[in-house]
Amino acid sequence: MNEIIVVDKLTKKYGDFLAVNNVSFIVKQGEVFSLLGPNGAGKTTIVEILECLRTPTSGVALIKGMNVKDPSEVKRIKRLIGVLPQEFNAIDNLTVYENVELAASAKGSRNVKDILEALGLWEMRKSAFSKLSGGLKRRVGIAMALVGDPEIVFLDEPTTGLDPEARRETWSYIRKLKKSGVTIFLTTHYMEEAERLSDRVAIIVRGRIAAEGDVRRLVSEQGGKTRLIFEDLGERAAEALRGKGYEVEPITDDRTVVKVSDKSEVFEVLSILRGLSIDAYPEIHHPGLEDVFLRIVGSKISERGELI
Amino acid sequence: MLLLVFGSIFGGPTPPNYTLYVKNLDVDHEGRPGVLSEAFIRALNESVFEVQLLKPGDPYPRSTGFAAIRVLTIPMGFTSNLINATIVNRVDITVETIMMMVEMAGDQIPPEARASISSSMEGINAFRGSMPAGVMTLTLEGSRDDRVLQPIEGIINTIASRFELALLNASSTIDVKTRFNDTRQLRSVDYYLPGYVAAFIMTNGLIGVSSLVSDMRRRGIIKLLASTPVSRTTWTMSIVIVQTVASLILLSVMIAVGWLVFRIAAIPDIYSIIVIILGTLAFTGFGMVIGVSLKEVEAVTALGNSLSFPMMFLSGALWPLELMPPYLQDVARLMPLYYFHSALRETLIVGSVMTATFPSLIVGVMATAGILLAISLTKWRDF
Ligand SMILES: Nc1ncnc2c1ncn2[C@@H]1O[C@H](COP(=O)(O)OP(=O)(O)OP(=O)(O)O)[C@@H](O)[C@H]1O
Ligand SMILES: [Mg+2]
Repeated sequence: MNEIIVVDKLTKKYGDFLAVNNVSFIVKQGEVFSLLGPNGAGKTTIVEILECLRTPTSGVALIKGMNVKDPSEVKRIKRLIGVLPQEFNAIDNLTVYENVELAASAKGSRNVKDILEALGLWEMRKSAFSKLSGGLKRRVGIAMALVGDPEIVFLDEPTTGLDPEARRETWSYIRKLKKSGVTIFLTTHYMEEAERLSDRVAIIVRGRIAAEGDVRRLVSEQGGKTRLIFEDLGERAAEALRGKGYEVEPITDDRTVVKVSDKSEVFEVLSILRGLSIDAYPEIHHPGLEDVFLRIVGSKISERGELI
Repeated sequence: MLLLVFGSIFGGPTPPNYTLYVKNLDVDHEGRPGVLSEAFIRALNESVFEVQLLKPGDPYPRSTGFAAIRVLTIPMGFTSNLINATIVNRVDITVETIMMMVEMAGDQIPPEARASISSSMEGINAFRGSMPAGVMTLTLEGSRDDRVLQPIEGIINTIASRFELALLNASSTIDVKTRFNDTRQLRSVDYYLPGYVAAFIMTNGLIGVSSLVSDMRRRGIIKLLASTPVSRTTWTMSIVIVQTVASLILLSVMIAVGWLVFRIAAIPDIYSIIVIILGTLAFTGFGMVIGVSLKEVEAVTALGNSLSFPMMFLSGALWPLELMPPYLQDVARLMPLYYFHSALRETLIVGSVMTATFPSLIVGVMATAGILLAISLTKWRDF
């Protein structure tokens, strides 16, 4: 797959404040790429540099080989991209259709109907934007980003502030979009969102990239082992497992964690226990991005996007 | 709306009916009014006045709204005095006429007949001398600020003279007839129309456009548009075009209403349309500058309001500058709206391209500056 976005040693200062610090990554054509990081990490700054809305202090950002700093290429870049700004809200007293049409005409496109149908907005095209629910409002924003058939779509925190149901719905539209071959650049502070949607992810904290790569590989390499959680395991069983080389740690009085590297070890652990006449069914915790993040950054991200 | 209100105060199409309060002191001991004072009041009522009789003991009438209060007092003894005076006048006329005839006849009248005529004339004159008669004064009371009090006194005087002539059985030999022609006469409603149109376009720009632009920025619409191939010049011009269309619609509606209700004199020509477009450009530009220069929509609206309202009241758009003290008139000449409504008035109402040139030029300069500033201050990147 070819690289559609190349970012190399990108730096952005606001006055003396270093918001983006020597950042490099690539995005491949047709993939979903996520910038995952807490509030103030510099996600929006990076996205807006790629959208030609911000001037980098130093470094290079190329969209399909075109430099975002080169004024003669900016117009061509803008023809390729679709943008959902962070906390975007369409115009209240226009209808759904009129709002999407506004974006369409700015991009010289006329496929408003197709977009509305694809996003399930056609039925409510005549409703005023102000009358819509939060989830539908965000969907109108996505429609405004998607209209005009962009090759790359930037979605800056598309699900922040949505309820879980609307969030899941948005995810399903993003997956559909990926199937149509569009490259999707996502920013988020939701681990689950990055993990479920993206092919590759860059974890960014305080303007620096902490880790970057294929999501599954990151998880398998940095996420640690799969954890089996047992209730009331007993000291005898723990000793037997330790004897076979497994890590066994009590987490609370009655709960114990056994770490395993793969499926075959799960069965081995269970058969050892059966040998001791213990019929136990553990909860299985596969490692995820959250574990990667915790391991690399040393903290978690709260629901509201703060480092904790 | 404002035009309707002000227009009906300052001269609608039907001539006004003046209310005249009349206090009749010419009554007999039973309180019945004298014949002649009653007839005089009737004569007043058949003229431009709408007479309201004040009975003795009625309080002095109070004004509601803008109507001026005018009270005419008919003195006691009006009827008897007028009868006496009429007799005296008739005697004077008769004696004088006879003496004139005698003079003109000359020698044709024998001397003894002449002597007997003069002695009887002397007898009549002696009788006339015994008649008590003098000038009667009617009092018209009104406010010092009432600008039509003088003309009203004139009208009452005319009615009184006609009344006296009628009592003498003489007919008036001079009559005045009014004929209407088509010359344009500016009325106050004509003065107000361009002022309102100008003030409306100004507030639309300074408050409407500024908050629109600011709201669009807050919503991220500007970011979304800036990420498309649309340029900020295109964006600025699209707002300007929408505002221009709105202004022209406003102008047509105002003129249509003004014409239907008040037969207003305004006829838009190419010059007034140019002035409207320039003014719209100027205030749309200024509005966009306000909209992009402050962060919060609320602050933008507040600034727009605090610029619009003083300008609306002090620039002469809502009422004539001549009514304001000289130093405020100087202040007015510093205001963009002053030049806009002056240019509009000169083209739209007065129809004078000559006097419109200077203010129009200023509006043109403001339009250019406003649009250029709006384009250059609108942030299309690095917000
Ligand atoms: N125009 C600006 N001027 C000065 N500082 C800025 C500006 N924009 C952003 N910053 C600062 O730069 C840092 C990164 O901001 P940015 O918006 O890129 O973060 P983010 O990852 O998008 O965070 P969030 O989740 O809050 O959107 C923040 O500390 C922010 O306060
Ligand atoms: Mg952000």
